[in-house]
Amino acid sequence: MTDPVPAVTITGITKRFGDVTAVDDIDLEIGDGEFFALLGPSGCGKTTTLRMIAGLDFPTMGSLQIFGDEVGTLPPNKRPVNTVFQAYALFPHMNVADNVAFGLKMQKVERAERDRRVAEAVGLVQLGGMESRRPNQLSGGQQQRVALARALVNRPKVLLLDEPLGALDLKLRQEMQLELKALQREVGITFVFVTHDQEEALTMSDRIAVMHEGRLLQVGTPEEIYQRPANRFVADFIGRTNLLEATVASSEEVVLSNGMRVAAASEHPTGTKVAVSLRPEQAFLYRRGAAPAGWPTIDGVLREVTYVGNALVHTVAVDWITIEVRTPYRSTETTPEVGDEVSVSWEPGGVTVVGD
Amino acid sequence: MTLAEVPPEVTTAGAATPEFERAAAKAESRRGFLLAGPAYLYLLIFFAIPLGIVFAYSFANRNRFGEAVFTDAGFDAYRRLAAPIVRDILFRSLWLALLTTAICLVIGYPFSYYLTTRSSKVRNILLVFVMIPFWSNFLVRNYAWRVILGKDGVISRITDFLGLGELEILFTPSAVVLGLVYGFLPFMILPLYASIERIEMSLIEAGRDLYASGWQSFRRILFPLSRPGVIAGSILVFVPSLGAYVTPEILGGAKTTLLGSYIVTQFLTARNWPVGASLSFVLMAVMLVATIVYFRAGGRNL
Repeated sequence: MTDPVPAVTITGITKRFGDVTAVDDIDLEIGDGEFFALLGPSGCGKTTTLRMIAGLDFPTMGSLQIFGDEVGTLPPNKRPVNTVFQAYALFPHMNVADNVAFGLKMQKVERAERDRRVAEAVGLVQLGGMESRRPNQLSGGQQQRVALARALVNRPKVLLLDEPLGALDLKLRQEMQLELKALQREVGITFVFVTHDQEEALTMSDRIAVMHEGRLLQVGTPEEIYQRPANRFVADFIGRTNLLEATVASSEEVVLSNGMRVAAASEHPTGTKVAVSLRPEQAFLYRRGAAPAGWPTIDGVLREVTYVGNALVHTVAVDWITIEVRTPYRSTETTPEVGDEVSVSWEPGGVTVVGD
Repeated sequence: MTLAEVPPEVTTAGAATPEFERAAAKAESRRGFLLAGPAYLYLLIFFAIPLGIVFAYSFANRNRFGEAVFTDAGFDAYRRLAAPIVRDILFRSLWLALLTTAICLVIGYPFSYYLTTRSSKVRNILLVFVMIPFWSNFLVRNYAWRVILGKDGVISRITDFLGLGELEILFTPSAVVLGLVYGFLPFMILPLYASIERIEMSLIEAGRDLYASGWQSFRRILFPLSRPGVIAGSILVFVPSLGAYVTPEILGGAKTTLLGSYIVTQFLTARNWPVGASLSFVLMAVMLVATIVYFRAGGRNL
């Protein structure tokens, strides 16, 4: 028995636009039925990667397979994938039903079958009764659903989504995140989506690929990416973190720039300049001297307290940097005030070493 | 804020009242009218009144010296338009105008699309090229064609050299259409370009992604969405082609008299002002009907 064929296999794909290398020699496998996120800041090459899978851009070099078939040079209409475009790209001169039916018409699916599938897709995204509306008569959320239905009605082998929720407001976006996830489970199709929103990627995906400047930095589950970031960029980009400059002292220990020795495992050779990533929620704030014995502790002064609803974000100035500490908010607790002498502490092993 | 939205000058500060709001609205509309005033006045004096005079003449009669008089005014001049010669000229003009419009569309559409795919720098240069012909006199450019198309002209010499014989299209309808297309092509390209440029290219990509071939995405998406430009361009070419005078006079022969020339003849040579005036109005009516039909066929977008 061989391994199941991946939905998308990208091998050595490079894309250049003139002198600019948008995607730089990436390898990626996306499994059948996965909800996969391409995550990175704008200009990192994530959208170009998606467009290459769709066939809207052709790679400069490399191999691109969909379920084992080489498709790198095929035009988009010859690929078994469909795309939900960033601003939806609904056809403004067609109503909802005609928008959804478009792909089936182009594939010459016969009338009765087409009508049945359009009705099914419109129902799937809960837009029954809206069939004769024009896109400009729909809200952003409804347009998003039409775009989904228009793609899914074709039963693509892979659904590509380019910043699918980017145009929606926060509340609706959170709703649609859950809905998209449920929808993906229901239809069982591989979803590949592009986002610059790390929270969205963490919430929705089975696996995430973090991209930066055309390169693939790390591929893993949300937990792996968050807990064990491959490098400084990933640690900083995913969630919030404090990066403390350090030097590797041994495989078990690093030395911070203030000379403090901290237990942290790393595979970097001794003497390597690294950073220690301390997540704000893994850091604890104590009044000076009250930190638990045996915990790594750095003394500082509380500079700022920000109330963010469910938590307090404390900014602590230590010798050489400021550290952010996030504490769950309880109205009954008295907390240190700005100007107080405090200590930042963490459970031994509660930090991660990240290289450049 | 546009000029018309500037609130009336407030000299005393105070709480707002409905009276103040009403006065402000009134001042605004008065200002709007003042802004349009010069244009209204110009159009009234130099367009509406002369048009009314021509309209009146179309119902006039001629006395025995050929002067237009208003005794026994009526539809006599309109009745005389039923003559076969006028009908032939009308149909010929319609046909050549339609042909010109169609050729401009076929040439202009791909070019306009090509323009939208270029970088904005290249685009602006190309747009300047489209408009450069306007910098020289229309009459001069038409005479230039006479030189180019003439028996000793460049084109004729080339065809002769290639063994195709001398080209003899000057003073034929073909030369007229060629001249009209040359003269009016920019009027097709500019509105087409403006309307294609507004179309999101992601819509074409969406079409391709949804299994449309290149031709299908043109027919189903690009063309329907560019229809406002197609309609505007076609009208801008068709209307002046139908009433064209200079090009048919210079490039057409005696056998290809078109409406414009015929009207001029009626006024200046035949001294039959009533027929010239009535024909002018029939021409306007034809243009109006054709334009409305075309608009309607174009759908709701306009």
